[in-house]
Amino acid sequence: MRLQMKKKTSGSEIMKELAITAKNVHKTYGNLTAVNNLSFEVPRGVCFGFLGPNGAGKTTMMKMLFGKAERDHSQGGEVSVFGYDPKKNALEIKYFTGIVSQEDNLDQELSVIQNLMIYSKFYALPGKQARHFIKNVLAFMELSDKKDFQIRQLSGGMKRRLLIARALINNPKLLILDEPTTGLDPQVRHVIWDKLRDLKKQGVTILLTTHYMEEAFQICDDLIIMNKGEKVMQGPPARLIDKHIETYVLELLHTGGKAFNATDGVRAEFMNSRMLLYADDFEKIKQISDQFKAGDFILRQSNLEDVFLKITGRKLHE
Amino acid sequence: MNSTYKIADLGPVRPPRFFQRIFSVWLRHVRVYTKHLISNGFPPFVEPLMFLAGIGLGLGSYVGLIEGKTYIMFLASGIIVPSAMFTATYECTFGSFIRLEFDKVYDGMISASLTVKDMFIGEILFAGTKGFFFSGAVLTVVACFGLVESGMAVFTPFIGFITGMMFAALALLVTSFVKNINHFNFFFTGLITPMFFFSGIVFPLDNLPELARWLAAVFPLMHAVRLVRAFFFNSFDPGLLFNLAYMIIFTVLFGSMAIRRLTRRIVN
Repeated sequence: MRLQMKKKTSGSEIMKELAITAKNVHKTYGNLTAVNNLSFEVPRGVCFGFLGPNGAGKTTMMKMLFGKAERDHSQGGEVSVFGYDPKKNALEIKYFTGIVSQEDNLDQELSVIQNLMIYSKFYALPGKQARHFIKNVLAFMELSDKKDFQIRQLSGGMKRRLLIARALINNPKLLILDEPTTGLDPQVRHVIWDKLRDLKKQGVTILLTTHYMEEAFQICDDLIIMNKGEKVMQGPPARLIDKHIETYVLELLHTGGKAFNATDGVRAEFMNSRMLLYADDFEKIKQISDQFKAGDFILRQSNLEDVFLKITGRKLHE
Repeated sequence: MNSTYKIADLGPVRPPRFFQRIFSVWLRHVRVYTKHLISNGFPPFVEPLMFLAGIGLGLGSYVGLIEGKTYIMFLASGIIVPSAMFTATYECTFGSFIRLEFDKVYDGMISASLTVKDMFIGEILFAGTKGFFFSGAVLTVVACFGLVESGMAVFTPFIGFITGMMFAALALLVTSFVKNINHFNFFFTGLITPMFFFSGIVFPLDNLPELARWLAAVFPLMHAVRLVRAFFFNSFDPGLLFNLAYMIIFTVLFGSMAIRRLTRRIVN
């Protein structure tokens, strides 16, 4: 885990600054448990991810950090965002936080620049400073030439970039993004990832939810995998892969349901007509693949998606 | 290696003050409204024109004096304030519902340093501002017809302001219940339209049966009409204080109920 080293108090002691702490957080909607006894800590200046299938409770947890949802009173639980409890001080939290929600909630009735001007007023930024900031955030998100566009003239990727630009207008210390790249093309996704890495370098603590494993792997220093409102595992992406899944995967595409006798050190999993073989020993798995002709198999390194599917199961969650 | 943990300290965090926040919300609505100033600003001038010409001159020639005034004078003094009711009601029913459910404007706004309460107080004030502007527009048309007798009439738009806030509060409470935008039709045909006809605007309430008169007194618009007529004709009586108190209490009561319910709908 990348920690921000603020000061070394002694030779062996590192001062770790925490941006967010959550302890035993619960949230229920009627009979539905959205978040169940979730605890985590986010060090300052890292990119922290929440990974999970739809309905895992990721968005609900994000909302509870800035008062858009309220955690259950009855079961105790504590949340602190830079020392502020969202139940009491949501306004303070929102003042130093940029929030990009899943849904596009730009003001359809205003142009790009007007959207940002009005938003700057919500933070009571003086006009001159606001214009300066707006110019910067538009340039940063590569939207300067779109400033006079109406919202409906923007593509999905532009809207998303504008939402991020809007969230940056108050020069936030914390950025919360709920599925920032869902539904976007690969170019936009990579641009957004680059921008998030840039912001992290500038010291912004970033929290994001995603169900793209690639995204989590690319930009998260640390992540939680959630399922059914609970934390299933936590750690840096590379370590999770290392720890929870074999290094190599052989996907046999057309076994026709025919079982393959797995040898020692090879784990087999079935998925409809496909078969997946996992092993740490490359030679072993290579030998198996030699029995098939090219195009009938894929031999690759395991990734976060393999971990994710192993943990949360391969069945649909909704 | 030991590591010690401490919550990061950002130093003093000072969000904008209450009045700055309310003002910023109000400003958002003003910007959106004035973006289409021509199409938005046109109707408040045209509608009273048609009313005065069509009903006032046309029907008025068949009607005798009402409360010692010609019918067109009675009508002119009456139609100043309902325009404030209609504009505030539209703004905070269809307008608010679209912001709440379709455009998600409120979600965007409360992601900034605003509370749900700020947002709706700002909106109620904006509806009041629209009420001021709309009754001012009607007053202008009435003045062009040469129907203004007293200089005190310049204060009637302020009653329009209170009327706008009062109906914004009522409309927001209705909106807090509505799940389907078509349900507003019940509110309009069931309450707003009858209110226009039974608040002493187009005919005096004195000849109505007792029950209907009592019903009219419950209708908030009647109180606004009484106050406007007092300024319009420069004739005041102590009962007007009751009318004013009614409007203020109504606004505060319905406004706070609406905000409480909308908060529960937005924060979940």
